[in-house]
Amino acid sequence: MFDFTVAGHVVPVFLLVLTGFTVGVVGGFIGVGGGYMVTPALIVFGFPGYIASGTDACHIAGKAVISSIRHRQLGNIDWTIALGMVGGTMLGVELGVRLLNYTKAIGLSGVTLLAASVIVMIGLFVYTQLETQKSHKKLEADQKAGKELGREMKVSKMPLFFQRIPIMPIIKAKRARLVISMWVIVIVGMFTGVLAGFLGVGGGFIRVPSMIYVIGTTSHLAVGTDLVEIVVSGGYGALRQSMSGNVDFMAVFFMIIGAMLGAQFGSLATSFVRGPAIRYILSYSLILATTGAFLRLIYVLTGAKIEWLSFIAVVFTLGEMVFLCLFICTLVYFAVRYQHGKSCPAWVPPLVVQAS
Amino acid sequence: MRTRGAVKFIVWTAVAIALCVYALYAHETGKIDQMYYYATNLDGYAVNTNEFFNATKEKPALLQIGKADEIKGLMAVPVKKGDRLPKGANGVIEKKVAEEGKRAKVEGDKLVVTVPWQIKETKGFKYKDTFIHKGVQTDPWSGAWNVAMTIAIGLALGFMAEGFTDLLGWKIKKIEQFGH
Repeated sequence: MFDFTVAGHVVPVFLLVLTGFTVGVVGGFIGVGGGYMVTPALIVFGFPGYIASGTDACHIAGKAVISSIRHRQLGNIDWTIALGMVGGTMLGVELGVRLLNYTKAIGLSGVTLLAASVIVMIGLFVYTQLETQKSHKKLEADQKAGKELGREMKVSKMPLFFQRIPIMPIIKAKRARLVISMWVIVIVGMFTGVLAGFLGVGGGFIRVPSMIYVIGTTSHLAVGTDLVEIVVSGGYGALRQSMSGNVDFMAVFFMIIGAMLGAQFGSLATSFVRGPAIRYILSYSLILATTGAFLRLIYVLTGAKIEWLSFIAVVFTLGEMVFLCLFICTLVYFAVRYQHGKSCPAWVPPLVVQAS
Repeated sequence: MRTRGAVKFIVWTAVAIALCVYALYAHETGKIDQMYYYATNLDGYAVNTNEFFNATKEKPALLQIGKADEIKGLMAVPVKKGDRLPKGANGVIEKKVAEEGKRAKVEGDKLVVTVPWQIKETKGFKYKDTFIHKGVQTDPWSGAWNVAMTIAIGLALGFMAEGFTDLLGWKIKKIEQFGH
């Protein structure tokens, strides 16, 4: 047990280390901060809501640093895109927060926020899921035809449209091997920043699909590049939260210790899989988070009277963390079996690489 | 490769341990806590309301008035608007309320509280109408300290892990994004 004096609560250290580890695995694999999972977890442990939110923001920055170091080694970062997005995201987050304050002023915030997050996340889930399933089928077909499979497989034609926008300056993202208008990157960063600021989340689960489907990076590059982006935007968020007295540094400290191990596993796990595997986990993460938000929406719409709905929403969010972590572990387990020529389910071979 | 990995691992492990020890030291010595404090928004007496929740007219609570950095038991620390509240305080009884003498009054060096204060919780602080505070305040450098420490620990742990895999001789190559 550890006395977290700023939060004013005594919590077993292993719970925080475990939370850090679990979110580290998921975040390192799909490139999100995992704020939508950590904040409810900290609240369940007894942290006041505002401390949970601030502590989460600060821990995300530290965890993103650890994951980014490993993704840099794996070559999953495109620095040009990362830097371009940072500027847009910071501006977008400020606009999103102002939009949120406006909706609060006209008395709409709670329901509008939840409804908006549910709509956005369902939209992203449906598109990501459909596109990934098509890519998975194409990979299966190519494998049956005896073709060599690439690390990435995407059937979406959307990036081509955005890459053809001829507004100067046109930049060359070397690692991502694409030529695109800088404005597209900045505006994607800004748009996802607005959503992140408005919905009160880090925004990784919006930025990663945006980088894949709008800018046109590979899934691996989107993951690594987004984590670099989170270091900057998360650090800024952490600074703001810290100055408001909302951060319990010791809780951040213990979560980072857990995240160090989890982020290593999550980041290294990306080297075992092809792009669609990352997008599958991302889409499941989206729908699970959406279900949690949907339960909270019903709770708010019913006048916050049905207490068990709120409870189930929190339990669901915690369960999601464990489920995604186990899913990633299972995928890596089957990938290793496949690499050693052992049997594995039929859906696995197209999603994993033969030698990492 | 392994020698470089070993050096990298040892150096970054030393940095990580130093940072972790410093963080724990800052916690144990109260340095972190000192960055966070509540400031009062009115003149009055800082108190710990939990100490006199059963006070009545017949059986009033007698709070010793005096300066202190921490409230222990039945104490009332005089504070002025903007002052940092002492440790353990969870509310302020307004000077005006004590002068009116209906719920609390000053008698010599004692603050006599004659009613149990009904309290409700908000933002980690307990107050009702008479317990007003400015909200949590922080040292202007605490934000920078938190972020700098978080990033520094993240960097140290990240490079330590990288050094560890190099030391083990794991060949972690760049992923061929477009290859087979």
